[in-house]
Amino acid sequence: MNNKHILLVEDDELDVISVQRSLRKIDQQYELFTAYNGIEALEMLHNALEKETPLPDVILLDLNMPKMNGVEFLKALRKDDALKHIKVFVMTTSGDESDRKTTEQLGVSGYLIKPLNFNNNDKRTDSMDGFFQFHLRKIFIS
Amino acid sequence: MKLSTLIFLGFSVVIGLSLLDSYVNNLLSNKVNQNTLFLTNSEAVIRNSSKLHKGIIEMQSAFRGFLLTDERNFLSEYYVGLKAIPALIREQHGLIRGSEIQKTRLDSISELHAQWINYADSLIIAKQNALTNKNTTARYNYLFENKLRKQVGKRLNDKISEIFRAFDRSEYKVRAVRRALLSASIQKTKTYSLIFIILTVGVGLVSSVYIVKLISRRITSMVNLAQSISKGHFTVLNDNKNDELTSLSTSLNIMSTTLSTNFRQLEKRNSELNQFAYVVSHDLKAPIRGIYNVIQWIEEDLENEMSPQMRKYLSIIPQRINRMEDLIHGLLDYARISRDKPLKETVDVGILLKDVTELLVPKNFKVTIGKMPVLHTEKIRLEQVFSNLISNAVKYTKHPDGEISVNCRDIGEVYEFAVSDNGIGIDPKYNSKIFEIFQTLREKHDKESTGIGLAIVKRIIDDQHGTIKVLSAPGKGAAFLFTWAKT
Repeated sequence: MNNKHILLVEDDELDVISVQRSLRKIDQQYELFTAYNGIEALEMLHNALEKETPLPDVILLDLNMPKMNGVEFLKALRKDDALKHIKVFVMTTSGDESDRKTTEQLGVSGYLIKPLNFNNNDKRTDSMDGFFQFHLRKIFIS
Repeated sequence: MKLSTLIFLGFSVVIGLSLLDSYVNNLLSNKVNQNTLFLTNSEAVIRNSSKLHKGIIEMQSAFRGFLLTDERNFLSEYYVGLKAIPALIREQHGLIRGSEIQKTRLDSISELHAQWINYADSLIIAKQNALTNKNTTARYNYLFENKLRKQVGKRLNDKISEIFRAFDRSEYKVRAVRRALLSASIQKTKTYSLIFIILTVGVGLVSSVYIVKLISRRITSMVNLAQSISKGHFTVLNDNKNDELTSLSTSLNIMSTTLSTNFRQLEKRNSELNQFAYVVSHDLKAPIRGIYNVIQWIEEDLENEMSPQMRKYLSIIPQRINRMEDLIHGLLDYARISRDKPLKETVDVGILLKDVTELLVPKNFKVTIGKMPVLHTEKIRLEQVFSNLISNAVKYTKHPDGEISVNCRDIGEVYEFAVSDNGIGIDPKYNSKIFEIFQTLREKHDKESTGIGLAIVKRIIDDQHGTIKVLSAPGKGAAFLFTWAKT
C-alpha cells in the first residue's frame, strides 16, 4: 500500500544520484523512475496510460531543463485530464519569484529551493543528501 | 537684441540727453547774455540822459549867474557845456539807435537847446559889451526887456525839461521790460537744466535697473541650474532672449542634457554589471556544490577502501571549496550593495556594535566602544561596514593582548566613526590599494583573507556619498575612519 511510485524529472546527474541516495536512506517503500527533461517525462506518462501500468503518485520536478522546462511540463500536465491529479513537488535552485508564482498557480504540493550554501549550520540540510532526506520524507507523509 | 547693444543703447541715450542739455543751455545762456546787454544799454541811456540834462541845467545856471552878478567866472561852466553837450547828444544817438520816438525826442531837445543857446549867446554878448562900454547898455536893456522878461529862455528850458521827463519815463519802461526779460530767461535756463538733469538721471537709472534685472534674474536661474546639476537633477533652462546670456544658457542646457544621457548610460551599465556579477556568482555556486557532494559521497561510501594518503588529499578539497565559497559570497555581497536597497530603520549603534563584537571578537581581546549615537539609517549596510572592519582588525591583530576600539565624532552633517586596532598595521604606500577588490596584502594561501571585505566597505560608503580613510604604520596598528550620514 505504501509503495510510492515516484517520477523524478531532472537533467542534472548529480541531483538524480542525490535523490536516489536520500530515498535509499529513508526507511520507506518506493519505486523511482527518472526522466531527463519534460518531453521524456510526458512520453513516459503517456506510455503508462497506453499500457495501463500505474501512474506515479508524486512527480519531483526540476525547473531549469533542456528541451522542455519544468514550467512548460507542468502546464502540459495540468491540461491533461488523465494526468492533472498527480501531485508535483518543484525542486529548483532558482530563486526567481515569477517561477514560484506561475507554478503555484498551476498547482504544486511543495516548492523546494535547493540550497546553494552548504555551511548553514543546520545539520538537517547542510549536505544535499540531508536536504533531500529532510524534504523527501514529506512525500511519504502526504 | 544683443545684451551689449542694449547696454550701448542705454549709455547712448544718457550721453545724447547730456549733449542736448549742453546745447539747450548754450542757447539759453546766449539769450541771457543778449538780455544782459540790452539791460546794460538801457542803463547807459538813462545815465547819459541824466548827464545831458544836468549839463544843460548847469549851462542855464551859469547863464543866469553871469547876468545877475556880472561876474565872468560864471561863464566857464557855460562854455564847458557848449563843448560837451553836442558830444553827449551824439553818444546818446548812438545808444538809442533802435527807438524812433526817443530819437525824435532827442532831436527836439537838441533843437530847443540850440534855440536857447542862440538866445543866451545874444544876451551874454550884449551884457559883455555893456560892461566894457557904457554906451552899449541900450542893446542889452532892449534884449533884457524883450526876451528875458518875456520868459523866452524859461519857456525853452521848461520844454526841454518836459521832453527829458518823457524821454526818461519811456527809457525806464524799456529798462523794466528788459530786466523782466533777463530774469525770465535766467529762470527758463534753470528750469530746462533741471528737466534735463531729471531726464538724464531717470533714463540712466531706469535703463541700468532694467539691464541689471534682465541679467541678474537669468544668471540666478543659471546658478540654480548648475546647483541642480551638481545634485544630479539634469533640468534645462528656457531662455529665448537671443543674446549672449542665451548662448550661455544654451551651452548649459547642452551640458545638462549630455550629462544626463551619460549618467543614464552609466547607471544602465552599472546595473548590467551588477546583474552580471550576481548571475555569475550564483551560477558558480552550483558546480562547487556538486563537487562538495561527490566528496561527501566518496567519504561515506568508500571510507573503508581509502588509503590514508587518499584520505589526506581528499580532505584538502573541502577546505578549498569553502574558500571558493567565501569568495563567491563576497562577490555576491559586493554586487548586492547597489542591487538591493535595504529599508532604513532606527539603529542604536551602541547595541549594534555590542552584537557585532560579541560575534566576531575573541574573548582574549580588549574591546572599547565609545559613546554611540542612535541613527535612522540602512542598518544592514552599517552592520556590514562594522563587521568587515572589526573582523579585519581581529584578523590582523594576532598577538595575545589585542585591543580594538570604536569611537564616534559628530562633525556637522555626518558622523565620523573610527575603528582602531593595535595589530600589524599597514604600510602607507598600500593605503589606496587596500580598498580595491581582491587586494589582500597577506600571503596567497591565507585562507581567511578574500580581499573583498574592504572593497565592500568602500562600496557601501561610496554608495552613501561618505568617505573612508586609513591611518596606519607597519607595527603600529591601524585606524579606519569613515563618515556616515545622520539620516
